[in-house]
Amino acid sequence: MNRSILTNPHVLIAPAFLLAAFIILWPLFQIGEISLNSVNRFGQLKGFSGLENFAAVLSDPQFLNASWRTVVWTVGIVLGTILVSIPVAMILNEDFHGRGLARIVIMLPWAVSLTMTAIVWRWALSGESGMLNSALRGLGLIDENIQWLAQAGTAFPVQIAIGILVSIPFTTTIFLGGLSSIPDDLYEAARLEGASDWQIFVSITLPLLRPFINIAVVMNTINVFNSFPIIWATTQGGPANSTDILVTYLYKLGFSFGKLGEASALSLMMFALLLVFTILYVRLAMRGER
Amino acid sequence: MSLHWLKVAAVGSVAAIALASAAYAQTVRVTVAEYSSKTGPYFEKAATAFEAANPGTDIQIEVVPWDVLQQKLTTDISGGANADLAIIGTRWLIDYVSQGVAAPLDGYITDEFKGRFIDTFLSPSVMDGKTYGLPIAASARAMYYNKSLFEQAGVAEPPATWEDLKGAAAKIKAIGGDVYAYGMQGKEIETDVYFYYAFWSYGGNLIDADGTSGLDTDAAYQAAELYKSLIDEGLTEPGVTSLNREDVQNLFKQGRVGMMITAPFLSSQIKDEAPDLQYGVTAIPAGPDGARGTYGVTDSIIMFENSQNKDTAWKFLDYIFTTPLRAEFTGGEGFLPVNKEVAASPAFADNADLKAFAALLPDARFAPVIPGWEEIAAVTSNALQKIYLGEGEIKATLDAAAAEIDGIIAANK
Repeated sequence: MNRSILTNPHVLIAPAFLLAAFIILWPLFQIGEISLNSVNRFGQLKGFSGLENFAAVLSDPQFLNASWRTVVWTVGIVLGTILVSIPVAMILNEDFHGRGLARIVIMLPWAVSLTMTAIVWRWALSGESGMLNSALRGLGLIDENIQWLAQAGTAFPVQIAIGILVSIPFTTTIFLGGLSSIPDDLYEAARLEGASDWQIFVSITLPLLRPFINIAVVMNTINVFNSFPIIWATTQGGPANSTDILVTYLYKLGFSFGKLGEASALSLMMFALLLVFTILYVRLAMRGER
Repeated sequence: MSLHWLKVAAVGSVAAIALASAAYAQTVRVTVAEYSSKTGPYFEKAATAFEAANPGTDIQIEVVPWDVLQQKLTTDISGGANADLAIIGTRWLIDYVSQGVAAPLDGYITDEFKGRFIDTFLSPSVMDGKTYGLPIAASARAMYYNKSLFEQAGVAEPPATWEDLKGAAAKIKAIGGDVYAYGMQGKEIETDVYFYYAFWSYGGNLIDADGTSGLDTDAAYQAAELYKSLIDEGLTEPGVTSLNREDVQNLFKQGRVGMMITAPFLSSQIKDEAPDLQYGVTAIPAGPDGARGTYGVTDSIIMFENSQNKDTAWKFLDYIFTTPLRAEFTGGEGFLPVNKEVAASPAFADNADLKAFAALLPDARFAPVIPGWEEIAAVTSNALQKIYLGEGEIKATLDAAAAEIDGIIAANK
């Protein structure tokens, strides 16, 4: 069979591939080049240095601390977001008076830029004039102001909570879509058989929602792993690097200390880590679905 | 194949841009740091006036927030898209000089031009006998104190030594209420500097004569003990590590802090935002042997080595360093005069606050001119935060920081 070259699949995807290559692969190639060279703070290459930059990053104790914290940060936010978003989505899926308004209220934080949200929280968490402290005092829960951002013990959990809060709108949207795809007759049949609400949730809602939960996990992980504004605007990774995650550490390496070689090496490692995680997760989670 | 094609396309577009800019001969791009909302309009006005006086020139001002200035310049330089002139922190200059990015200005500087400057401020921009930058902004630090709080506490004079300061602080604390005696910065930029004030008073040096860090000396231990005792005895605000310089300044403006050390611009902010605040400016307290040190900072405007219009760029520099323009800029931003004539003019010479700052200049110390200084400052700040939080023993923490700094110094040699 003779097909025109214009219908060859490779030709057809070529424009899209070239565009993607221009946006993704080219910078990746350049970062790879920088990471293998010794480089000055202005990004000018000063000769091939092998894996020296990678070794320098790996031997920095800050790197290990930040990696561990990134795991806590990512798992905490992704898990927390999903645990909160499922009930929120189920409530918003019910038919009640004012549902439209409730949906808008839940979605609103999405409309505000992440940096803005983070800065507002920085003010709200201030130990002197913060809203959170005045609210807690007003409720009689505390007598003394808490200095939320002064030490990692309080700062990091609060940052994770902010992360959860800003991830809820997107995740809820995914779950709302998922819930509306579950046919109502399944619920009717289950009720006729006398299933309890919990049984319905465990045997119908949760299994049918699973593909959507998988999507939410992958998308949120990619988002949260590289999320910079919340931590930077509230503590800049401090005090004493105790709230640094890999992205904030990367920013300091690259732009505060001018170590562009090490920063490139680190960002390549982060890219690889995220890629491997995503592929693994997608394989594991979606295995049973074919 | 596709990569090669892309490279050709990229080179072609760069060439097109280069040709296009060549058509506008005598274009000078200037990257300026945004010190306040007045910075942009000031430079725009200067550019317009310069263009009117020099037909055929085009001055393009790019205003960049100070926080991202270093990042923007680095990106521009690595992409070959940097401006002709740029404001930089003078402590970054050594990188620009050692990598051949900044052009020496000696060929342009005449004796008359040099004579306009106060030497203290010009000298940090001189490296290996060549002048690479001109001080566009200068600042030093002095102690602000709240006169009403001093009166309420029964403290007659601002403290002359750190010992006096501790005594005064205890009396201010006794007033009670939401008032803090000594405002202490413990977060973000210049957290290390806030410690150096005490460190220098105890006779410390950031870099000792043998080229290693001075943080593992008695001066550093004593200064850290002093600060830690202020925190532990409740003589500072609570949660020191959650307040940056602006946060402490805001508390001072609200009249809730007895003393704090900061730059001249606080007095122009007080004039606008808290005109009723009764405050004074005095010297930084001295140590047991009478030593004291203030932190001097200059920002420099540099010319890039790859500038295509150096002569026009220089003419513009010459213009903005004339007395009337300097007076307008320095007064508007609340900096110290770098220009002798400006310093002598009544607006500055009769300003009591600025006089207090100017009196400290003989004790001014600048950030050491060594590569990797930003990283060293970060290591120092981290060590201090650990001490302030009580997470590290003073001597051990400072010794570890000193060892890390020595490693950075050695790696950059």
